[in-house]
This record gives sequence, C-alpha cells and structure tokens, in this order.
Amino acid sequence: MTVQKERSRVLQTTKKINELIIEHFSKAWDVKSQGKPISWVTVFTPVELLYAMGVYPISPEHFGAMCSARGVALDYFEHAEKSGYSQSLCSYSRCCLGYVTSGMSGLMPPPDILITFRNSCDVYVKWWQSLHSHLGTQLFVGEAPYVLSEDDMDNYVLDYVVKQLEQLVKMVEQKFSLKLDMERLVEIVKLSDKASELWLEILKLRRFRPCPLGGRDSASDIFPLVVMQGTDEAVKFYEELLREVKEKVNSGQGIVENERFRLLFDGIWLWHAFDLIKYFEDKRAVFVHEPYSEAWACRLDASKPMESIARKILTMGLNVDIDLRIESFLKSISEYQIDGAVLFSNRSCKSWSAPQLVTADILREQLGIPSLLFEADMADPRQYAEAQIKSRIDAFLEVLGER
Amino acid sequence: MYIGIDAGASATKAVIVNEKGEIASFAMVPSGIDFKVSSETALRKSLRMCNLDLKDMTYTVSTGYGRELVNAKSTSSEIVCISRGVFRLFPSVRTIVDVGGQDSKAIRIAENGRVSDFVMNDKCAAGTGRFLEAMSRILGKPIDELGKLHFKSSTPVKISSTCTVFAESEVISQISQGARIEDVIAGLHEAIAERICSMSSRIGLEKDVAFTGGVAKNKGFVDSLSKKIKVTPILPEEPQMICAYGAALAAIKRHQESIDHSSL
Repeated sequence: MTVQKERSRVLQTTKKINELIIEHFSKAWDVKSQGKPISWVTVFTPVELLYAMGVYPISPEHFGAMCSARGVALDYFEHAEKSGYSQSLCSYSRCCLGYVTSGMSGLMPPPDILITFRNSCDVYVKWWQSLHSHLGTQLFVGEAPYVLSEDDMDNYVLDYVVKQLEQLVKMVEQKFSLKLDMERLVEIVKLSDKASELWLEILKLRRFRPCPLGGRDSASDIFPLVVMQGTDEAVKFYEELLREVKEKVNSGQGIVENERFRLLFDGIWLWHAFDLIKYFEDKRAVFVHEPYSEAWACRLDASKPMESIARKILTMGLNVDIDLRIESFLKSISEYQIDGAVLFSNRSCKSWSAPQLVTADILREQLGIPSLLFEADMADPRQYAEAQIKSRIDAFLEVLGER
Repeated sequence: MYIGIDAGASATKAVIVNEKGEIASFAMVPSGIDFKVSSETALRKSLRMCNLDLKDMTYTVSTGYGRELVNAKSTSSEIVCISRGVFRLFPSVRTIVDVGGQDSKAIRIAENGRVSDFVMNDKCAAGTGRFLEAMSRILGKPIDELGKLHFKSSTPVKISSTCTVFAESEVISQISQGARIEDVIAGLHEAIAERICSMSSRIGLEKDVAFTGGVAKNKGFVDSLSKKIKVTPILPEEPQMICAYGAALAAIKRHQESIDHSSL
C-alpha cells in the first residue's frame, strides 16, 4: 500500500482556538487584577447573565479537558486523590479539586462566586460544595427539574428557573455592587444566539460528502460555546469557520481523502487520546456527526432573554427525556449518511453513557447500523487501554467494509 | 502455500494451508512478551511439521493483539478471521462465541459468511482466559486440569465477584472456609459463563452456535456455557487455532486479489 502525503486534518480556523483559549484565561487574570469578580461555573449555566453584569465566567470542566489534552491532568488527579477524592469520581471534578488543593497556581484565577445548576450532572452539586468548603467562596446552586416534554415547560418549570435566575441576579448585584443592564443583556443574548446559529449551520455542512470538518475540528471548535457565549469573539470565530467550511464544500475537499466510512461519535471526546481520531482517519473513516458537538448550540430569543436562558438551562441534552436523545440520534443517521456509530462509554460521565446500550440495539434493529462500544475515561489516561481499543476499531472498520 | 498467524494475548498460533484452504500444519507457542519472537517460533515450528520452507510461502496474514509486530504482508482483525475460519468448517453456524486470553467476543455471521454484528467484553478481563489463568494459579491446579475437575463438582460455589482481583480473594476465602476445589472451579466456570451469556445475548444467539478460542478447550467451561445459553454448541477440534486458520484463508483471498489487481 502506498503511503499518501498527509494533508493536515485540522482546519485553519480551528488552529486559532488555542489563541482564543489563552486570551480567555489571560483576560480572566486581567479582570481579577482589576478587582472585578470571577465566577466558576458549570456548563449550561447563565453565562450571558454574568457577562451582562460584569462577572467573568470560567469553566473548570473546560479546564479539565484542556489539562487532559495537554498531558498535565495527572498531577491534579494525584493531588485530588491524595486529599481523599476517590478515583471513581468524575475526572473533571478531580482535576479541578486537585488544582485547588495543590494551591491554584495555573490558568484559572480563584473564584469570587461559585455557580452551578442541577441540570445535567449528578456530581456538580457535591463538587461545587467541595469547592465552597475548600475556598469559602459564596455558592449558588440552582435547581432544574427534568424536562420530559414541552408541556412540563409551559406549566411551571420554566417559571421556576426564571425565578431562580432573578435570585441569582439579586445575589450578584448585592455582593459585588453591580447592576444588571437589561439592554446589554439583550445584546449579549443576541450574540450568544448568533454563535449557536452559526455553529449549527457549520455542523449541517458535514452532511456533504466528503465531510469538510472532522472530529479533531469539532472537538476543539466547541470552546467558544462553552464559556464565551455572548461575546463578539465567539461570533467572529464561527463566521470565519463557516467561511472556511463552505469553501471546503465548494471545492469538494474532505477532511480525509477518499472518504470510506462516515461515522457518528457519541460521548465526550477522549481529550488525552486525540490520536484515536487520527487512527480512524488513517483508515479513511471520518466522524461526521457527534450529538456532543451539537449539544452546545442553544438558540435564544432576545425578546425574552431571561426566559430563553432558563430554557437553555432546562433543555440541555442531559436534562431531557432519554427518548428525545435517541430520537435525534436516529434522525441524524440518515441526515448525515452515517455508516456506523462509535459509542464511548465514559467512566466519568454516566449521565451521558447511560442510554448507549439501548441506543446500539435500536440502531441495529431499526436501521441496521452497527455500533462499536468501548470504555475509557474522557480525561484520565489511566483508564485507557490503547491496544484493546485499537483492536476493536480495526475489527469494527473491517466489518463495516464487509457490508 | 499460505500462512495465518494469530499473535494472541496468551498464545501465538500459526496455520499453513494450501491454495484450497486445506490445513498442512499448525503450531502454537506461548506469546510471552515479544510477538516477533513468538510468531517466528510458531511459524518455524509449523513449517517443520509440514517439511516446507519459508520460500514456499506465498502470502501471510497476521491477526491478534500483536498483529502489527508480526512479519506479514497484511493484517486482519480477529473478528473477521474467526468468522472466516468457522464458516469454512461449519457453514451452518450463525453465532460464534470466542473466549480468548484477554478478550471475549460474540459474532453473528450472515448466510454468506460475512460478519453482520459483533460484541466484545468491556475493558475488564473478567470472563476471559486471563481470569481462569489467575484462578488456576491460586488454586495450584494447571489450567488444563480445570475442565476435568469441574465434572467432579457436586454443588458449585457461587462466585459473586466478576472482577479478577476480587474473585481471587473470594476464592481464597471460599477455600479457607472449607469449600471443595472442584466446587470452586465449577463456580468459576459458571461465573464466566454468566458474563459471556449476557454479553452474547446482546446480539442474539441464533443457531448454530460455535465456541472457539483457547477457553473452549476447557470442557468444564463449555458445559457451564452450554447450559447457560441452552444450546449444544459446535466445537471445532482445535478451537484455539480457528483465528489463525481464518487468517490463512484471508491470505489466499488477498493473494488472489493482488493478482487480479495487478492484471488489470
């Protein structure tokens, strides 16, 4: 077999993500040195509201992913484990708690307020409570009931979350002598919505053959939607990305040459093992869709800012009926012309992995789509058996090739 | 002549076949820590057995954990090799349950012999040959004897832990409480059988069912698994060689394809 000269499998725009991340953190330290408040938030919390009040949000989950990708998470895991946090806890939480117990000398400035919502993850509340007990920082825990259908929302749930947002605003205003500027909030909500709209448009272009944007891109490109929603920078980034992806589509350039298999990836990425994506791509198998990447896009209505932020908190992918998740999973198979699904059962995130076995059965029985399920951890490399996973990938792709 | 080499987690196997896929010889050696050495040893052994020389060999396909380290023209996955091997010998088989040194698998094959679906064990080694190797060490009984002892059991002990490490201590405590070794062995076989059964049920156990892999040589385990899945399995004479045999069959096919390709 001849070895083809490798083309970079990362888009030019994606390469700018690093700069954005560095800017995000250096800005955080600037903010801190100016005496303005920093909030540590879990994802799918009201960052738009925080930006509008002048509170700067930082996502420790993103920090965990980043540390893992850069190979520096182990130190933090070990610190957390030495302090008594079990290895069976979520690796993001261990990374963050290790960062705190090891003295917080790194990228994240210490928080002035801790904000979380009970909307997607069982660990959040205990994790944020632990941070509170280590740091003594004020804590806000919001409640978000499960949303089984749109009816639940109309009745009482939405109102309940809006009221909590109002409480949060009051708390922040009093604590930091700040004032929520409604006009500014409307602008921020518009920007946040715009970024999501663009991201959805970009993802849709992956329906083209060959697929113009691969797994390595989508894994990185979600960053502006994690904690930069409502900023100009996020919108600019996605505008540029959209332009590049459109060009790729127009010129018929795919992320791999002679695309052979189009795959769905389910789960959070393995931040410490990005070479897995390359392993697939070397065999001309490209990831064309991930429910995880899509989950970051949340459309907001600027005419009802508080309500749409509440809606975003409530309808995040893990806070809705599992059937809805499976339904959209099934729909994507034909939309993206998917040949097979790769399901990553994540030791750290059981709320995400829970429906995977059922999903695999449904995919096989209803659509004849085979799945590959493997177990590892999103951020902890100690839970990763490379040879075992690669032998499963080989078998899966060979079987796909036989069909 | 064509060679299939299966560099597995526990043992490395080599099978030599003629262009019709008929077996000329086969050999097996422990994998140890160096797949290069083990695959060469297995190959030399099998060549000697059929009085052939390396230069008589047309094409080699390797498979198994060490597939990339073997000196072969191309590689193939165990799933596909096992299916090819079984289908050639037993075309009526629709489901294969393979329990190897480090992996267990259930494979569904279509009427044309192609793989239609498969599942493999999760990361954990419970329910694989490794588990039984560890237990045989603790019990001080050679792995080959486990099958025989199994049939001397009257009331198998219930082993509740599926973790190899925890099962070790459970076995020790059972023995120290006076459980008979035979009953512990039968209990261990039942524990693995249960695990394999629930894994295999995920793809459906359509008949005929074949058992392959090194652990299928253990008659005691085969007994437990057959009862659990309520099927009388087809057992190849050499269940551990099937994967290498399938690789040898793949070697014939690939050689043919390369000729077809170059004559275009």
